[in-house]
Amino acid sequence: MIARLCRGCGGQPRRTAAWFAALAIAVVAAPHLSAHHSFAMFDTARRVTLVGTVTAFEWTNPHVYIELDVPDEKDGAAKGGAVKHWSVELGSPSILQQGGWKFSDVKVGDKVTAVINPLRNGDAGGLLFQVTLRDGRVLGNGPGRGGAQ
Amino acid sequence: MIRTVAACLLALTIVAPASAQVDLSGVWAPYRAGRGADPALNPPPPSPIVLKAPYAKPYEERRAKEDEAAKRGEPLATPAVGCVPYGMPRMMAVALYPVEIIQRPQQITMVTEAFSEVRRVYLDKPQQPIDEVPPGYYGRSVGRWDGSTLIVDTVGIKESVPSYQMLPHSSQMHITERIRLVTPDMLHDQITIEDPVVLEKPVVYTLAYRRMPNYEMVEFICENNREYVDEKGAVRMKVKDK
Repeated sequence: MIARLCRGCGGQPRRTAAWFAALAIAVVAAPHLSAHHSFAMFDTARRVTLVGTVTAFEWTNPHVYIELDVPDEKDGAAKGGAVKHWSVELGSPSILQQGGWKFSDVKVGDKVTAVINPLRNGDAGGLLFQVTLRDGRVLGNGPGRGGAQ
Repeated sequence: MIRTVAACLLALTIVAPASAQVDLSGVWAPYRAGRGADPALNPPPPSPIVLKAPYAKPYEERRAKEDEAAKRGEPLATPAVGCVPYGMPRMMAVALYPVEIIQRPQQITMVTEAFSEVRRVYLDKPQQPIDEVPPGYYGRSVGRWDGSTLIVDTVGIKESVPSYQMLPHSSQMHITERIRLVTPDMLHDQITIEDPVVLEKPVVYTLAYRRMPNYEMVEFICENNREYVDEKGAVRMKVKDK
């Protein structure tokens, strides 16, 4: 299931009906629920795809982070070109585990493709929407947030 | 002999505490209605929020300011941004984080996964007058069984702890919960908030939870908080250079 969806997405996630349904449920359910912080600082209408190398994977609370070195597309790192560093925020270990994650899914040095909702203020950071891991698995950011669900 | 045993059994049945009928123990996750959900299990809609006049306008103004800031992408901070726990009653519904209930005849303990918050509900003690309870995040809770429904009475919530929907509250806030199994695997917690100083009438809402069989609670130590509050009170995320 996961592999099939991954081949279909190729790192460019589609807005499936299921994804919209999950979003709608989250919006409907929102009035009762609290969260660590609002996600309004991220531009959830935009997606940026980062193809890079993991420099740190922090399985911590209140959030998990993937630190990523992303070579410039024109003259990649292999040619000694520019590398831009990105900080990607995920949910918490609890929420990610509920969405199929394990603490050992990402290692330093892994090449991954992360699709993020970027920070609105232009800083090199964002909220993970979906990541394609080194083994080809596609994971979202917890139940109902991206990934092969 | 048989008659004696039967009499003893009957006596035991009569004096057995009502708590023996229902066991709420287990891990429960907030239940989101949606596709495939049984509408009969959905919690009823919340009551309207009606504040007393001096509190209504400031509350509406703050909510409008929050909405406007969120639209700009500069959401205003809440205490949770600084990893300050939620306290009652917001701790009972934090995103998808489960709540573990541990039931003993004398005490029910609730441990929430987000921020590892702990509530203790005493079943064998009377409530104390509000003014006798040191204000805190969880206050003091006592419970009793009304048939198969657990009724929990909580007072002593610190005024700086935001209430449901970020409502303000006074030291006189009184929370009553009616907790029951709707099905063996579905739990409802009907929460009634009364506050003679702030609320014109009680606020009533119901939280629904589904059982998480075999779930092992995850620890939550807020050790890596990259969110901070800027000079305008907006939430920001720190990014790293490398």
